[in-house]
Amino acid sequence: MADAYDVIVLGGGVNGAGVARDCAMRGLRVLLLEKADFGVGASGNSSGMIHGGIRYMLSDRSVTALACRDSGYIQRIAPHLLFRIPFLMPFASRKEGATLVERATWYATEVYVGTYDLFQPLKRGKPSTRLSAEELYVLEPGLRRGLAGVVTLDEWGIDAFRLCTLNALDAAARGADVRTWTEARELLREGGRVRGVRFRDVLTGEEGEARAPVVFNATGAWSPALARRNGARVPMRPGKGVHLTLDRRFSNYGVICAAVDGRQMFLMPHERESIIGTTDDDYYGDPDDLEATNDEIEYLFEGAASLVPGVRDARITRAWCGVRTTLFEYGANEDALSREHQLHDGAADGLAGLLSFVGGKLASYRAQAEEATDRILELLGRPHGTCRTHEVPLPGGDEVPDPALLAKDGLVAAPVAARLVYRHGSRAREVLRLVADDPRLGLVLCRDEGILAAEVVHCARHEKVRRLQDLRRRCRVGLGACAGVDCARIAAQLAGRELGWDADRIRAELADLLDQGWRERRAVLDGAQLAQEELVRGATGLLEVPW
Amino acid sequence: MTAARDVDVLVIGGGMAGAVAALAARSRGAAVVLVRRAPGATALSSGAISVAPDLGALPGEPLASRRSPVEAAQRLAAAWRDHPYAVAGVERLAEALAFAAAELGQVLAPPLDRRRFLATLYGSAVGAGLCQHATVDGDLLAVRGTLAVAGFRGHAAFDAPLVAAGLARYRPRGGPEVRAIELDLPALAPGAARPHELALALDRPGAAEALGDALRAALPAGAGAALFPPVLGLDPAARVLARIRERAGVPVAETLSDVPSVPGLRLHRAIEARLAEVGVEVVQADVAAAPAPGEPVRLGDRELRAAAWILATGRFVGGGIARRGVLAEPALRLPVQAAEGRDAGVQLALRPAASLTVRDRRRPQPLLSAGLRVDGALRPQDERGRPVHPRLFAAGAVLGGHEQATDGTGLGVAILTGFLAGRAAAGGG
Repeated sequence: MADAYDVIVLGGGVNGAGVARDCAMRGLRVLLLEKADFGVGASGNSSGMIHGGIRYMLSDRSVTALACRDSGYIQRIAPHLLFRIPFLMPFASRKEGATLVERATWYATEVYVGTYDLFQPLKRGKPSTRLSAEELYVLEPGLRRGLAGVVTLDEWGIDAFRLCTLNALDAAARGADVRTWTEARELLREGGRVRGVRFRDVLTGEEGEARAPVVFNATGAWSPALARRNGARVPMRPGKGVHLTLDRRFSNYGVICAAVDGRQMFLMPHERESIIGTTDDDYYGDPDDLEATNDEIEYLFEGAASLVPGVRDARITRAWCGVRTTLFEYGANEDALSREHQLHDGAADGLAGLLSFVGGKLASYRAQAEEATDRILELLGRPHGTCRTHEVPLPGGDEVPDPALLAKDGLVAAPVAARLVYRHGSRAREVLRLVADDPRLGLVLCRDEGILAAEVVHCARHEKVRRLQDLRRRCRVGLGACAGVDCARIAAQLAGRELGWDADRIRAELADLLDQGWRERRAVLDGAQLAQEELVRGATGLLEVPW
Repeated sequence: MTAARDVDVLVIGGGMAGAVAALAARSRGAAVVLVRRAPGATALSSGAISVAPDLGALPGEPLASRRSPVEAAQRLAAAWRDHPYAVAGVERLAEALAFAAAELGQVLAPPLDRRRFLATLYGSAVGAGLCQHATVDGDLLAVRGTLAVAGFRGHAAFDAPLVAAGLARYRPRGGPEVRAIELDLPALAPGAARPHELALALDRPGAAEALGDALRAALPAGAGAALFPPVLGLDPAARVLARIRERAGVPVAETLSDVPSVPGLRLHRAIEARLAEVGVEVVQADVAAAPAPGEPVRLGDRELRAAAWILATGRFVGGGIARRGVLAEPALRLPVQAAEGRDAGVQLALRPAASLTVRDRRRPQPLLSAGLRVDGALRPQDERGRPVHPRLFAAGAVLGGHEQATDGTGLGVAILTGFLAGRAAAGGG
């Protein structure tokens, strides 16, 4: 039987989706299987930064260079999806009794950041500057008193869920078969070679087989389990990373702060919110069963409050986490682990043709995918061809329309147009055409997140939405500070109409959406957020009446 | 400064529990002052009061349940010993429901001895022990003929075909034939898509009549009633339903609401109107760290002394219970020590959020059901289980041990405990 595919990619995170796109662009027949939705693992739950990896400059200068160069490319292919986040790295005051060591640290930091400046042009970053205490408090009056100054550092933020989605959608547009909510159950093998996978659609229960000479395993934290099930090994150090979302922006700039144990962490503005990140601890639990613990929340919150005391008044709206995969090393603590990546060949375990991806960074995903695609072509015995993922725009990335001009037609207000352009780039025009055809789709479901009814319809039609919770990742349905009180039901109705859901299915999808949010909120219920939770439960109390 | 004024009963909180408490005390002749900060969770309620879930009913088959709300409440009280129904006893529940329905008769319909089955925005039906006039004719067991589910063109928030398809499933259990229809809203400004904006527009002269005419033109043959989204007027005195009905020639009803809730706002208005009508003085002020009954208490710019106090401050939305690291009751600083669920345990107030919640969202959550512990006479207890004060009572969501959103009682606990506390505070029964 002839193989239907050249390569089967497992995992719809940024690496799987990126590889699927590159392979499809280089003419391979691709099947992408994702057991849930795009970016649900480490990719979407990362800090959402296309940063240059200054942290890795001392240990892995090549990681920094790669990340910076690729950050520049990502700006080229998805200009709408990136936004600048300048970071401030503060210095403590001399008055607090600076020791020689501390002074040496300041000096070292300046050299460090100065070196990073050499990489900045690669990603259209601005060079660092040193600001005095006076200048600092003008920019960020909310920082704790007594700082001597800061060095600035220019980075970029991104919507990581959409980055994964756009790569997968582009792969599909170039002929790849892309299936979400479809789990690879078992690898098919023949005489020491992998020959394909047996899969199961977790929503319909449909099972099937697909054959290909190469299987690319980009299942991240799920890799070891997948490999083990098939008698292979993928060595890695899985690390849990937790972030907190605060209900509003607490600073104009990202700020680097020190946690109670001295680890570097940050507080940064991200869209309408602030994000505090991140923890990094070995995690050998079930990656499907991941929740932030009380310790982790306290650790992050206190770390941020030590530099920005105002966050004590914040409402923590979510605590979310992912498991990053780092290269295996014995004896190193988590921070010191390399962010390099590795392609692990299954031939040694009698699974030739199985290529597993370990490690890597969101910011370097494109370069990682290029390298992986080269390897896949080698395994197939084909020439590399030309990789063009650094210059061909992702869907909607060909142009960034001016939101003010889009709003001129009067279909939507400018702030909503801005959010639409941020998420959809030039495809915002397609969304607005839906409003022109049917004015009721001009309804703004969430004024906070700028979610338009037409956007929900557009995503349901064109962005491989199969469950309501997928809309969390496409256009932030149910993700804001109100946890979906305003948007969830109407979004479910609109999506249901597109996807043929009946009343029972709509209620089941809403319940599932609430479950997703509950997992991220139950450990942070305090103050106004606790009242909000009571409101959410009251507002949806009629949804699932058990009697 | 003048000396503190003396009244019989001070009610703290103006939601359903506080209102029923004030009305119950007032109807026994007591001089009552009600102090409240803002509309609380009652103004966000759906328009129906479940009273008690039928724990023995078939899942997904609400219409198959024939147990009366009071009987269901007795069963619930027997099964959940920490529930306010069990603590206070449900012997006078029927009396309390009838009292609330009569006092708030401007919006609430008299209860039947069976529950009514009312449509939700999700196209499902829920059983309600008490409901608003606006929903009565949508009772799925009472509709004679076809039920026309009417959506408004341009109002994406209400999906009439979805609701109709959902309700049609109850036909084998005695529900009506259901058809979806779509109407124009000629009198409304374009873009008026928010529920309360639609409701305000319908209050205006001529709007309800125009809608009634449009409905009559669109009604299917054999229509016995029409079901609308919950936007049929904010002001109970505007008689929006009656005006539509007069023109359309069929009974008209609303579905239940989610948040924001027009029926909730309507209920809030009716409460305000009734309190004023019977002479309960309403003061808008914040009460924090108040002393005890019999002591003068400062309410804004005045001072007051009441022999009996009723705490009806709600839970987290109402502000009766708050958490900033620890759970607290801010008005009188009473201990927060009652919660639902086996994980509640000791030191409820001090434990972290993660250990006061369980993974399954649908299960009882100790944190969300936290509140005061009271004795059988609804008097809050101190840490050693003794009444804090002989004339201090509590009612409604400030009581712990239940979560109205998930236990299926709705505002039933507020009505029962408000009624009992009001009567107890007024003296006599």
